[in-house]
Amino acid sequence: MKTTYDIELRIRRYDPDQDRTWVQSYRVEAGRIMRFVDLFRKINDEQDATLTWGSSCEHGQCGSCSVRVNGKPLLACELLVENAVASFKTTTFFIEPLPVAKVIRDLVIDTDQAYARVDQVKPYIITPKQPTAQNGAHQISPDELERYVDATRCINCFSCAAACISDHSTFLGPNAMLAAIVRVMDPREGEKRQRLDTIYNENGVYRCHSSQACTFVCPKGIDVAHFMAMAKQGAITVG
Amino acid sequence: MNGDLKIHATVHCDVLIIGAGGAALRCGAEILEKVPGASVYALTKVSHPQKSHTSTAQGGLAAVDPKDPLDAPIYHMFDTWKGSDCTADQNVVKLICESAWEQILWLENRGMHFSRDREGRLSKRTFGGHTRNFGESSVYRAVFEADRTGKGIMDTSWGETLKRGITFFNQCIAVELLLKDRRCGGCIAFQQKEGQFIRILAKATIIASGGSGQVFRVTTNCRQNTGDGLALVLQAGLPIMDPEAVQFHPTGIVGPGILASETLRSVGGILRNRDLEPFMVNYAPKMKELAPRDLVARAIESEIREGRGIVNPDHNIPHVWIDLRHLSDEVHEKQIPEVSSFFKRYVNLDTKKDLCPVRPSNHYHMGGIPTNQYGEVEDANQQVIGGLYAVGECAAASFHGFNRLGTNSILELITMGKLVAERVIDRVKGEPTRPDDSFRGDYFAARFAAYVQAVGSESVGALRNTMRTTMTEKVSVFRTEKSMTEAIEQLLELHERATRAPLTGRGLAGNQELLNRWELDNLLQVAMTISQAALHRKESRGAHFRDDYPVRQDAFNYHTLTSMNTFGAVEIGRREIDMSLFKAGGPHHEKFGYIERKY
Ligand SMILES: Cc1cc2nc3c(=O)[nH]c(=O)nc-3n(C[C@H](O)[C@H](O)[C@H](O)COP(=O)(O)OP(=O)(O)OC[C@H]3O[C@@H](n4cnc5c(N)ncnc54)[C@H](O)[C@@H]3O)c2cc1C
Ligand code: SF4
Ligand code: FES
Repeated sequence: MKTTYDIELRIRRYDPDQDRTWVQSYRVEAGRIMRFVDLFRKINDEQDATLTWGSSCEHGQCGSCSVRVNGKPLLACELLVENAVASFKTTTFFIEPLPVAKVIRDLVIDTDQAYARVDQVKPYIITPKQPTAQNGAHQISPDELERYVDATRCINCFSCAAACISDHSTFLGPNAMLAAIVRVMDPREGEKRQRLDTIYNENGVYRCHSSQACTFVCPKGIDVAHFMAMAKQGAITVG
Repeated sequence: MNGDLKIHATVHCDVLIIGAGGAALRCGAEILEKVPGASVYALTKVSHPQKSHTSTAQGGLAAVDPKDPLDAPIYHMFDTWKGSDCTADQNVVKLICESAWEQILWLENRGMHFSRDREGRLSKRTFGGHTRNFGESSVYRAVFEADRTGKGIMDTSWGETLKRGITFFNQCIAVELLLKDRRCGGCIAFQQKEGQFIRILAKATIIASGGSGQVFRVTTNCRQNTGDGLALVLQAGLPIMDPEAVQFHPTGIVGPGILASETLRSVGGILRNRDLEPFMVNYAPKMKELAPRDLVARAIESEIREGRGIVNPDHNIPHVWIDLRHLSDEVHEKQIPEVSSFFKRYVNLDTKKDLCPVRPSNHYHMGGIPTNQYGEVEDANQQVIGGLYAVGECAAASFHGFNRLGTNSILELITMGKLVAERVIDRVKGEPTRPDDSFRGDYFAARFAAYVQAVGSESVGALRNTMRTTMTEKVSVFRTEKSMTEAIEQLLELHERATRAPLTGRGLAGNQELLNRWELDNLLQVAMTISQAALHRKESRGAHFRDDYPVRQDAFNYHTLTSMNTFGAVEIGRREIDMSLFKAGGPHHEKFGYIERKY
């Protein structure tokens, strides 16, 4: 078994001080199970301390490290060198920031700008209903929860938004839609009207072209397109 | 360049929270719920609050349901006290255990997607160390949201703060606390995106900056857990309590450090050394793989130290193997699918066919900024610093003592988050004046100027890696006077060498390199206090184990207070352990004396 690879990373860089964009190439010798975040760190430690990238949990749970690798949005902390070589059939990788918000430096984008779309759909219960069970909690059957629980697993990595073929300037985006859909289906939410208005307004689900690119790239394996389709069919209203 | 190191703007608010993880957000949500319209600012190092470390917590949170006929808060208190190896503060233990269920309802009513039983009620599961009837048998006490409980807490409390109008400063880093006449007036913060320093003045400042895991080479903690909150407090001349109490999880996946759940051992996984020998039988002949966490961690570490570990050129991190190959397909697929998928995804191994590399991994820091039961920060003489609070993993009100039970940490975030908020609300209401311009910020400019102007041939990355390796080899699961003395010398040298580490890029906007340099100083300071406090504590207690003093000693029945005004010159003070449950003499009070921690 081959244990090291000679990898070339071609990274799109941006320097805000000079307002300059360029592509810089780095060669790294990489162990087969190194992740792409490990490669970035190795570049920082050994070649170029200025290369800037984002990550937090580094095990696929927070959505901070998403980038495009050879055009595909994914989590850099989940991509092993060995798997990248096998799936892209090359040892050269072109890495760019996600195209969903302004770039701050190198691979880091302005997450505030990206999240503004999620904030708009109000990712919380607007008007809580009174608890149903005597001990102060709500009673929600597992079957009822099952209908929307997958949509609650979204980590807002914006990979789906980056892959989406709809026009980013108008569509709120697949992950923002998921956040709205969750609360429409949540029996504890008393304010359904406002929610449905958001989902069906001019920046809502009807902007979706059903390309299913979102489902294809979601690192959490959420069938995003399925929820979009349910919303389009009006199959998400409960309680 | 130095012109950029001045304060760009001053902003005012009622409450400043340094951090936007679980503890910070629960606290912020409560303040805004009770005082609508209060100006609450929360700073976070990460790009968005949701990216904070709390989002990765998996297992669940312990809370006694008052309607549960089999469980009672007193049992939870006992388990926590025993788990802490008799070093938790009992007033805090009582407070948290008794308010736990109320906080579960807070989360549930605000939309957390807890897992449910068939009737639609909250499901509960068992967890290590949680028992009923003072150790009689394990108990269903942990509520959970599948294997993403921390994410549920984060999404819920972030949503609540957003709904009620908190102001977030993302990628904004607190770099100096503003202290004057034993009072805190806010902090200086570095806005990473813009590359600017701002001064934030507040009636109340709450430190909720999370853990310090990056001190060690192999850790389950996120990249930003560099102990900033502890360093800020040390730099302000205040002490850190019990820094030597560091928990290691026995089975972190090598090399990403990701946690491989204890389930692997309970379903029959066997730990093996380089020669494929099943070694647990030599350390715990009866319990073997099922012995408690700290014991298993020590066994693995011993194998590695005695040369029976494995080193893989992919990461050069010595480890042992957990062998799961003999388990049935059914076990792999039904009982451990999650962890199996971690091995697949991160080390490309198939648990059915391959040996899986694991080693003890830094997990949790029980010690931290000393506070009373209201989260008010105390100095070395146990006097409260006005307007300064701490909550969450960076704080030590001391719920966990020297060893934390699983599921007790995220419980602490939400219970203490709420309790601290109540105290802060009182202060904000009772304090008519906001801090004035005399809170200046005395150190940050010189400090950052030194980073930017440094010349020499040292590398920040290399120094950080050396420090982390030193701590992992010399001050982790096993500690001896010799190993810790070596570590302390090494840390002194690294601290000195760091002054000769130049930056390649000197622009301030988005400068990650500059931040790494600043973090290195924080890490070194935290590492130094851990090492010195551990050297001082000539006994073994909870997660702190000394080869040369393997037994718990009554002479050390106190909390360590560690102060450091010059790097390396650590002063050690003491704080008494609160034994109010024992002293109250009520029913079962004898369970809260100094008891043996045997399971
Ligand atoms: C893999 C894993 C699983 C776990 N599972 C469980 C579990 O099942 N049950 C349990 O009870 N516990 C668990 N824990 C422990 C628990 O998750 C943590 O102790 C807890 O989340 C800490 O929360 P916090 O709010 O104190 O800090 P964090 O969530 O770490 O938040 C800290 C915040 O402070 C910010 N910050 C830090 N420094 C600065 C600075 N200088 N300036 C500005 N902002 C700053 C950070 O950006 C972040 O927003 C687990 C831990 C790990 C690693
Ligand atoms: S739906 Fe999937 S791809 Fe989209 S943001 Fe959420 S986790 Fe990422
Ligand atoms: S760093 Fe958290 S998902 Fe990659």
